[in-house]
Amino acid sequence: MQGLSAAPPAAFLLLVCLSELLPLPAAAAPDAERELSPSSRLAAGAARVALHYLNFQTASPGKLQALGQVRKATLKTIPDSGHKYYLQFTTEDYKSGENAGSCLATVLYPNTKSPPVVSIKCMQSKDQEQIQEEDNRLYQKLRHQKKPITGNNIPDSHGNIEPALESVWALAVAGSSYIMWEKSRENMGYFMAQVKSVKQWIRKDDFTEFDYTILLHEIPTQDIISCHMRLTWLPGHPLKVKYFCASVNHGLEDGSGMESGSAAGVLHEKGPNF
Amino acid sequence: MSSCSSIPKEGPESWKPGGDGRRTHPLLPAACWMACFSPPEQKLVDEEKKAMAKPSKTKRSGSTFNFASYHTIDEIYDWMDTLVADHPDLVSKLQIGQSYENRSLYVLKFSTGGSNRSAIWLDTGIHSREWITQATGAWTANKIAEEYGQDPSVTAVLDSMDIFLEIIANPDGFAYTHSSNRMWRKTRSINAGSHCIGVDPNRNWDAGFGGSGSSSNPCSETYRGPYAHSEREVKAIADFILGHGNVKLVISIHSYSQMLLYPYGYKTAPAPDHQELNEVAKKAVSDLAAVYGTKYTYGSIVNSIYLAAGTTIDWTYDHGVKYSFTLELRDTGYYGFLLPSTQIIPTATETWAALLDIMVHVLEHPY
Repeated sequence: MQGLSAAPPAAFLLLVCLSELLPLPAAAAPDAERELSPSSRLAAGAARVALHYLNFQTASPGKLQALGQVRKATLKTIPDSGHKYYLQFTTEDYKSGENAGSCLATVLYPNTKSPPVVSIKCMQSKDQEQIQEEDNRLYQKLRHQKKPITGNNIPDSHGNIEPALESVWALAVAGSSYIMWEKSRENMGYFMAQVKSVKQWIRKDDFTEFDYTILLHEIPTQDIISCHMRLTWLPGHPLKVKYFCASVNHGLEDGSGMESGSAAGVLHEKGPNF
Repeated sequence: MSSCSSIPKEGPESWKPGGDGRRTHPLLPAACWMACFSPPEQKLVDEEKKAMAKPSKTKRSGSTFNFASYHTIDEIYDWMDTLVADHPDLVSKLQIGQSYENRSLYVLKFSTGGSNRSAIWLDTGIHSREWITQATGAWTANKIAEEYGQDPSVTAVLDSMDIFLEIIANPDGFAYTHSSNRMWRKTRSINAGSHCIGVDPNRNWDAGFGGSGSSSNPCSETYRGPYAHSEREVKAIADFILGHGNVKLVISIHSYSQMLLYPYGYKTAPAPDHQELNEVAKKAVSDLAAVYGTKYTYGSIVNSIYLAAGTTIDWTYDHGVKYSFTLELRDTGYYGFLLPSTQIIPTATETWAALLDIMVHVLEHPY
């Protein structure tokens, strides 16, 4: 499917969606709402939060999306509620970097410091069938192993990912998107820095299950956060994630390298109750 | 390397145009051949050692260093000596101080003569986990040496100005990323009264020192240190620049985010020269994008990333270096600090376009 600028019907649809989701420029009170520069950090941060949420909800390791460029961003202060961002941005396929379409999203950071509230609608270049095929391919690889998959340091120090572990890594990105979405705040953002370790649990049913230790890079603190994540996946079903995170640096001298969880102790169930 | 398996061996004609090694895109021919079809690293180190053991009168002995690979501190320091040996009339090595753990802080000086000429300062690796920066620094040093007398812009710059390049600005941290913790950012200085080690060398400068955007907690990755310039690694650069007295351009190189930034980080008030700096940044970013299509954003530190107090370029700017920039190299978070070595040469190549742009602007706008 062609990019947005080359497909008039798609552009029209986008315009319709735009008028629904974005506030009309002249109408709102000037001090409650302001347009942001597309290159502003707040706009990019909010767009990433929306994509974390999307990647988790989509539950397709074959269809992860990364931020392309923010085209338009507006910030509205909602009294007694929080800060709400209205965004239009392009996306790229996480793996290939190819243009994947564009999205309209709203991201509300509540005053109560709870997770951001996201609504997002995207127009995709990849079609649903392609995505399902990709997911099924990944699923078959993960399912039909003679031994449970294990791995460490993905990517390694030099940025290499073994081909055999690429699907496991993609699943980690999808799962950690849940963690990153939940932890994100207006001034706190995350990237998945590395999979320190992964271990597969073989199940009797159709689901695939993995124990991960992942490292998140936290902005602006620059901290590296270590999270233990238990994830189950079956194509076409929601991703199930349980996690516990601890900062590697606070209070710990990490001279021996990073141990998963270290002094963190017990794995608590966080997130939706499954 | 995994991405090399997707590259057809039959030759560049079959590859997609505009490729740059990013993810599954094919690399441009020269870069890819070097990255994918070089001998494995260990074998290369052995060969390199053999080559250096022989008395070398040929000018190409430095070219056994594989720029498409990440190296240890010893490998880079050894290679620096060969670069100097290969270009004795252009390149020399200075020591500007010692790190906390007593490692030498080396700077390469590129000069065609004169006496205390206007100078350009470049540093890479001040945050040790940002490995693409030290790798880019090495490639850039080699590029400068190769292009003098060949490229008109490089030649024009070096005929009037000196270039100082500190490739490993934080050697203790860099050694630690190899031996123990790939994600180490700070220096390795011991903090009195704390079991946490290290100070953020990009929060330790005397520019808004102690302000918001730096931490007072030694365990924090943005710990500012007990006082400004407490870190030997920082003091060495500050003293050098002050002592030199004629530095006109500073570019401090970090990763990741793909941004070109100018002051301020410690306050929201625009820098007096922000309009010109913005124009320079805009052009540099455009020329960078022209190489492989890599998109950078640009602006002041505070508007583009976050409030950050005690940064390098805020200090240099406030001490008379009008052209003070920070570059954040590839990528935008996909690999982050763990950028594949196949992207070293494409990254360095596109960055070079921006660096040269800025250097030429500074040459043409003396102050």
